[in-house]
Order: sequence, then C-alpha cells, then structure tokens
Amino acid sequence: MTTRPVGLTRDLPAGRVMHAQADGKDMVVWRATDGTIAAWDNRCPHRGMALSHGFVRGNRLACLYHGWHYDRSGRCGLIPAHPDLEPPATIHATQYGVVETGGVIWVSADEAPAPDDSDLAPLRSFIVEASEDALRDAQEATSADGAPPAPEASDRVSVLCNPIEPGRTQVTVLTAPGLPLPRLRTLSRWCEAMRRQAEAKETA
Amino acid sequence: MSLEYAKNDWYAVADIFCLRDGPRRTRLLETDITVTGPAEDATVTDDQGNRYPVQLKFDHVWTTLGDSPRPLFDIPEGDEEGRRRVPCGVVRVNCSPLRAVENFLDIAHFPFVHTDILGSEPHTEVSPYKVAIREESDEVWATQVKFFQPQAAKSAGDGIVTDYDYRVPAPTVAVLYKTCPPKPEAQDVIAIFVQPVSETVSDVWPWMALYDDASTFSEMAQFQHEIFVQDRSILENQRPVKLPLDPKMEIPTRADMTSVAYRRWLKKRGAFYGALRDGA
Ligand code: FES
Ligand SMILES: [Fe+2]
Repeated sequence: MTTRPVGLTRDLPAGRVMHAQADGKDMVVWRATDGTIAAWDNRCPHRGMALSHGFVRGNRLACLYHGWHYDRSGRCGLIPAHPDLEPPATIHATQYGVVETGGVIWVSADEAPAPDDSDLAPLRSFIVEASEDALRDAQEATSADGAPPAPEASDRVSVLCNPIEPGRTQVTVLTAPGLPLPRLRTLSRWCEAMRRQAEAKETA
Repeated sequence: MSLEYAKNDWYAVADIFCLRDGPRRTRLLETDITVTGPAEDATVTDDQGNRYPVQLKFDHVWTTLGDSPRPLFDIPEGDEEGRRRVPCGVVRVNCSPLRAVENFLDIAHFPFVHTDILGSEPHTEVSPYKVAIREESDEVWATQVKFFQPQAAKSAGDGIVTDYDYRVPAPTVAVLYKTCPPKPEAQDVIAIFVQPVSETVSDVWPWMALYDDASTFSEMAQFQHEIFVQDRSILENQRPVKLPLDPKMEIPTRADMTSVAYRRWLKKRGAFYGALRDGA
C-alpha cells in the first residue's frame, strides 16, 4: 500500500473525528485534545461499530455504541459496563500509519514511507465522482489553454489523488505558499471546472 | 446462509393497521410477497400466485414460506386483562435481522445511544445477571437484569432501577419484560418481530403490551418508535453487516452474556440466515 492523502490538517481540529478511505480500507482518523493524531481500522473490536461515529474524550476515542474508550495506541482503557475492570490488553483497535506534512493528512495500512516534506500549501480537499484517470484528463484539459482560471507555472499547483472506489476519487490540491486571496479564489474556481469536467466525462 | 432453515419459521409481515390503506407489497427471505387485508382474514401470495399460510397474532399478520413450519411461539402475558397492546409500525433497517435482535437484548448501550431516556452516564455499570438456554422450550432467557434508567417508559417520571427479563423464542424475535412503573406487581412486555427482507435488510415491527392508562396510544407508539430509530443509527454502521458467529471476530465482556448465549443458540440450531459462519 502506498501513502494516501485523506484530508487537510485544518479540517481536523483537536477533539474531532473523521471517516477516511484508502486502498479499499475504511478508517477512522481522529485528533486527541493534546493535538496528536491517530488512524485506525474503522471498526470497534467489541461489536464492529464504526469508530468514526465515536467521540473524543480527552486523549481517548470513545465508541458510540457502548462507550468503550481507546487510547492513542489503540488499546482499550475503559469498558463503561464494568468500570472497575482493567480491560485485557488484547482488546485493541487496528492501527494504521498516519503523518501530517504541509497541512495534509496521509495514511498508510503498512509502514509505507511518509511523503517528502514540501513547502506547498493546501488549497482544497474534495471528492470527485470520477475515476483518477478521468480526473487527470480533466486536469490536463482545463489547464491546456492557460486562460483563466487555469493555473500558471508560478502557482506551482500539485494535484494529489486518492482513489476511494471505482468512479470515486478524493482530490487534494496544493499550491505555492502565500498566494494572494484573489489568486486562491481563481484556483478554487479552476478546481470546480476540473471536477465538473471529470464528472461529466464519467457519466458520458 | 441457510435459507431452508429460515423458511420454516413464522414472520410478522404486516400489523393490523397497515393493511387498511391497501395491500402491502414487501419482501420476505428474498421472496416478493403481497399481504392483502383485512388483517382478520389476510392472504399472503407471491408473484407466481402461490399462497402461504397466515395467522393473526400479537396484532400482526404472520406467515411462513416453508413446508414444515415450526410452531409460532406464544406470549401469554399479551392477553392479560387491562393491558394495552400497541403495534408500533415498521422500521426499515439496513442490517442483518440477527444484529437487530442482538441489539434489542443489549442494555449496555442505553446510556450512549438512548441518552437520558433509557440510560445516562455515569450510571453505565451492568451488574451480573443470569442467562440460560431453557431446554424444555429451547429458548434463550436472561433474567435478573437490572439497569438504572432516567425515564424507563412513557409513564415513568423520575429515574428508577428497572428490572428486565429477556427472552428469545425464535431467531428473529426478542421479547423483554420490565418493571412497570404504575403497577409494581406486573411487568410491561415489549417485543420486536423482525421480518428478514434479506440477510442484510430488516423490517422491524416493535410491539408492546403495557399497563399505562395515562398515555395516548400514539404517544406510546411514538416513544418506542423513537427509541428504535436511535438503534437504527447503530445497526446500519456495524461491520461486518452479518452477525459473526466466530467468537474471535468480536470481543464480548461480562455484560454480553445474553449475546454470547444467543449466538451459541443460533449455531446449535443451524439458524445461519443473516449470520457469518465460523471462518467464513
Ligand atoms: S461496539 Fe464499540 S463499544 Fe460496543
Ligand atoms: Fe437500543
């Protein structure tokens, strides 16, 4: 498995939980109150409830169904039905790799290397109802003539794809840091044009 | 799978009210059927014109697709004088019928899923209770179950410790008996009759027989309906969708003794429709 971009750091503040998909795996990505991040298989070991519906309690993730707590290493620390019981160490959420670079959250199911540090800044992360190929074609087509809102070389636009399922792709767009707001707005419009074109092609 | 086994049980496919608006087109065990009223004299047919046996019981129309059906269980308390019997309509849930039953047998989720109604933190502890598979009736029973509830029923004002008994008379049916606030010597009866549309889709028919003179019929039905809609948000988000019978796939704790017995009982009977079998 490769390392996949699943969202932006700014969209996951402390205490928040999100659902992510990468390489056919359902994941929960969450940030503890102290700011540390974790990515696990999206399944509570107790009864299989999606942990992405859970809630953060301090530096632990609590499952919505019976409130079992898991610490950042994935280990179960509390079973509310038996508050005096020390949960066996075998009760453990399945952990995935997660790193943040340049404002992007990356996950991997194995110990795939983290992406290179880059000085680029995140513009947007969004889902496109189209395959990665269709998205790449649309990227090329909407950039070709160089007319606005197409990116210019100085924008240093980079488009990252995370194929979620057939015909569905998570797209993360990065740009040079410190671009002025009007320029960012223009590039946002370009993202929309690219998305429309990819989706139109997919349904054609 | 084990469709053949499942075909020889009876299933609720309509309640006494829903047929007033005309026939109900529905699916049972992946077979399209039509239930035509009136409820007292209902017919169930498939699209090929085959007619299936029907009985009216617990304010629902029951049918079976099998050639040698096991007898439909009884809930004698339902007929007691003075009880109000409330069919609560149907809730469609994208889950295994067995997961729906198992959730109904579970109390540990009350503070988290039915917050401030059937449970509330910090009252999360589940005390020891008794579980047995009763030989003579071949049913799963959990007794002496106790739980603190802020608002146990429509007729309960303040919080109380509620006593429960749970009973599984058929793979897709669960019945509970609980403390009845206005009548301490009696028990309220609440059941779910699960109509297995397929292994991963369920139509759930909650039903109650209560001593409650204060609430209107629709208030009582609404209360139960709301509770079940909260359960739906859980049931549609469990993975795998089918109930795993391999004990290594999901880790139970003491509070889950009923669920452990239920899964064992399903396995023993060969009631695998809606279940994931060992190693599968
Ligand atoms: S399924 Fe997560 S705590 Fe029970
Ligand atoms: Fe519930």
